[in-house]
Amino acid sequence: MSWFLRAYAERRTWRAVAYLLLGLPLGVLGFVVLVTGISLGLGLLVTLLGIPVLVVTVLVARTLASFERRLAWSLLDAPMPSGGRVPDEPERGLWRRLRAMLTGRRTWWELGFLLLRFPLGLLDFLVVTTIAALAFSGLVQPILVAAGVHSEIGGWTIDTFWESLVLVPVSVVFLVAGPRLVLGWARIPAWFATTMLGRLDQGDVKRAVVRTLARTGEADGFRLLDELELQFGRGPFLNPTRVEAALLALESTGHVVGHRDGGRILYALA
Amino acid sequence: MDEFGELALREREARRIARRQWFWLHFAVYATTQVFLIVIWALSSSSYPWFVFPLFGWGILIAAHAVYAFVVRDPEEILVERAARGTAGTAERDESER
Repeated sequence: MSWFLRAYAERRTWRAVAYLLLGLPLGVLGFVVLVTGISLGLGLLVTLLGIPVLVVTVLVARTLASFERRLAWSLLDAPMPSGGRVPDEPERGLWRRLRAMLTGRRTWWELGFLLLRFPLGLLDFLVVTTIAALAFSGLVQPILVAAGVHSEIGGWTIDTFWESLVLVPVSVVFLVAGPRLVLGWARIPAWFATTMLGRLDQGDVKRAVVRTLARTGEADGFRLLDELELQFGRGPFLNPTRVEAALLALESTGHVVGHRDGGRILYALA
Repeated sequence: MDEFGELALREREARRIARRQWFWLHFAVYATTQVFLIVIWALSSSSYPWFVFPLFGWGILIAAHAVYAFVVRDPEEILVERAARGTAGTAERDESER
C-alpha cells in the first residue's frame, strides 16, 4: 500500500503526468506543422517555391523533434545520446549541410516521430485524464447528489445518497493505484521517444571510434565502449554490437587494424 | 571471436529474448481481451459482430509486433553476424595465419 502511495511524493510521477498531458497539444502542433508544410511544399513544387517550403518544414520539424528529445529526457528520463554529432567531418557550405540533413536517417526518424506523436500523444492524454476522472468521479458523487445534481451512467441515474456511494470503491482503487498506473504507462512513450529520437548514426559511432583511437593509440572493444558511453551516455543507442559493427566496418575500409592480445583484440588506427 | 565479441553476442541474444518475451506478453493481453469481447458479444443480444473491429484493428498491431520480434534485425547485427560466419576481421585472419 505504501508503495502505491509513495508515488504521490515522487517528482517523477508529476513529471510523467506533465509529459503525458503535453502529448496532446504538442502532438497536434507537430502534426499540423508537418502535414501543412509537406502538402504545401509538394503542391508548390512545380513553381520551385515548394523547395524552400519543404526545407523550412524539415528545419522546423527538426527543431520540434529536438525539443521533444529534451522533453522526453528531462520529464521521462528517456535515454538520449548526448553530445550530438561528432565534429570530425563538418559539412561545409549550405548545400552540403542541407543534403546531409535531408539524407540523414535521423531526420526521417524525427519526421516519423512527429507524425506518430499526434495519435500516441492523444492516447497519453486520454490515459491520464481517464485515470484522474476515475479517481475523482466516485468521490464527488455524494457531493453532487447532496447538491441536487443527478449523474447518469448508461441508463442508471444516481439520485440517492446510497447510490452515490457505489462508485466510491472504484475511485479509491484508482486514487491509490493511479500514480503507479501513470508511471507504468509513461514507460511506453519513454521507450517510443528513445527508439525514434534517441538514435545515433553509425557514422557518428565510427567517427567517435576513430577519435578515441587517435587519442588512446590502442584500445580493445571494452575500452572503446566505455569511452563512447562517456561521450554519448548510456542507452539502447549504444551497445557492444554497434561498437563491434563500427570496428568491423573500419577494419574493412582499412582505417583500423586489430591484433590479438590474449583473449582480446586490440585496435589501432592504420 | 574475442571476449568483446562474446559480450556483444550475449547482449544481442538477451535483446532478442526480451523482444520475444514482450511480444508474447502483448499477445496474451490481446488474446485475453478478444476472448472477453467475444464472450460479451455472445452473451448480449447484439447480432452485429462488432468484436471484429478490435480483433482486426489490434490484430494489425500484433502482426507488426510479431514481425519486429521475430524478423526485423538491426543492420549492425546483420553485419556482425555475417562477419562472424564468414569474413573475419584482420585480427582473426592474423590468428588463423599463425
